[in-house]
Amino acid sequence: MKVYDGSQTEDAQETKPERLKVGIAEYEITTDAAVLTTSGLGSCIGIALYDETTGAAGLVHIMLPTADDVEGGNRAKFADTGVTELVEALEAVGASPSTMQAKIAGGSDMLDFSENGSSIGSRNLAQVRETLAEFDIPIAGEDVGGDHGRSLQLEADSGDLVVKSANTESVVL
Amino acid sequence: MNVDIQSLGTFNQLAHEGAKQATQSLAQMTGIDATVDITKITLLDRDDVGEDLEGRDFVGVQFDYEGVLEGDTVLVFDAESTDTIADSMMPGASEDPGMAQSAVKEIGNIMMSGFIDGWADYLDSTIDHSPPQYIEKSGAEVLPSAPEADDHRQVFVFKSEIEWVGESVNFYIYMLPEYEPLADAMVESVDTEGDAIPIDKLQTFNEMTTNGTQQAADNVEMMTGIPTDAEVTQISFAPIEDVPKQIGTDTYVGTVVEFTGVPSGYLMVLFDEVSAVNVAEAMMPVEMDGDELTEQHEAAIEELGNIMTSGFVDGWANVLQTSVDHTPPKLVHDMGRSIVDPLAAQVGQHQEHAFIIDSKMQTDEIEFSAEIHALPNEQELRAALDDLDVERADKTEADVEQIFE
Repeated sequence: MKVYDGSQTEDAQETKPERLKVGIAEYEITTDAAVLTTSGLGSCIGIALYDETTGAAGLVHIMLPTADDVEGGNRAKFADTGVTELVEALEAVGASPSTMQAKIAGGSDMLDFSENGSSIGSRNLAQVRETLAEFDIPIAGEDVGGDHGRSLQLEADSGDLVVKSANTESVVL
Repeated sequence: MNVDIQSLGTFNQLAHEGAKQATQSLAQMTGIDATVDITKITLLDRDDVGEDLEGRDFVGVQFDYEGVLEGDTVLVFDAESTDTIADSMMPGASEDPGMAQSAVKEIGNIMMSGFIDGWADYLDSTIDHSPPQYIEKSGAEVLPSAPEADDHRQVFVFKSEIEWVGESVNFYIYMLPEYEPLADAMVESVDTEGDAIPIDKLQTFNEMTTNGTQQAADNVEMMTGIPTDAEVTQISFAPIEDVPKQIGTDTYVGTVVEFTGVPSGYLMVLFDEVSAVNVAEAMMPVEMDGDELTEQHEAAIEELGNIMTSGFVDGWANVLQTSVDHTPPKLVHDMGRSIVDPLAAQVGQHQEHAFIIDSKMQTDEIEFSAEIHALPNEQELRAALDDLDVERADKTEADVEQIFE
């Protein structure tokens, strides 16, 4: 590590709600009312979990249904392990699955060329529902399917999930 | 030199570790919260390096480095971000050009030391770098000149993009390694002979894709009467989850097909909304009212997408001497990233990393640009390249002309 002089400031940031960007196959959690965002959901699904008791919230952006499909280390990439990972991360900061609720968006069937079998979007959706059910976490709101993309903004102070699309009005879940 | 998929994956991971280390150093030293947005390895013609920086002014720092890898690297950001960056380092620094410059230098030094350390750690070796040199240039000039080598026109570029969370400031790191040390380091990390792609075949494939793009551009010209040029062709390699990020969050109009054969995969022809309206109107016999994208526009785009796809895919099939068929085009009009997302997911069911083939075309006559992106199945692309006879390169040009005449 190189040595630097002390002229840089320690904290130049202003106090506005922190924004955390969640990439594909990533998740973020917050306990201090940050705004979590993710963009470009096609067949991917964004799962927002909110625990009103502790104010903890988290968002994961999953890409494929189950970790069995591909070998690889990134748990947040898959619906089953991604939801589990997010629940565990929230538990680690004091939230409990018994008071969590979920809001989900995405899983569109756009650009599905498969002639037989169901699309990745609907398989993602089925797996998300199944894994949430295993944790007994209710789905309090959803905007799923269809044939358009979505971007999400989870406002952790209220638990509101704002769903934006390119060609339609925003929806608040 | 053979490049195997695993070593490309390893080197991509390297670039990612470097960029991560750079953002961590930045956070530790300045409190700036940033995230690594994209890391990718791209193979492209040396003349096309930095084409995506066209028309923008940059400031930043340049280093050269030597050790297990050698070459030049830069860290730059848009000139208009200078004030934000300078003030975050030393409040008020933006008032004084000298101070602003040293703030830029300092932030560059912090991040690039992290970047180089990240690489060195991962390679378990040492890389030394020169002191940072402040640079202030426009477009591709901001990049160091691509390393010279007699026998290959194409160069590997490692590109990372780091986003300052909450500010619209992006840092771009470009690393252009010298060929020989890179080749040596890549050979070191090859441990599976089976899935190696000879580098000259990737280069040939790139050249052939340029032909396909030119054919697609000619088709546009034929249908619209607008002279259209093929611009950049490149092949990139990135983790599957980074694939949708290659395309922005702007809204695009275009077509998507699935192609089958060897290789199979997906092909997108995308226009930004302004280009879509302009090019569609050029195809229509009557003037349209307003600038809105109507169903007639979309129908024209669908037709255009179809013939561009055919031109492009024919170029490939001809070179690879395979037959490549494609489905009828599906019209898309959505955020760029969410168009790519389901395609990446499809491909991602079978592979961890993906090759992305990008081409661009544009015209000076009206505001118009189009992008073609292909996402081939990696194993099949490898098989197709394996069968590709590089000696045929000259002959292929003739074939292309013959077929498209």
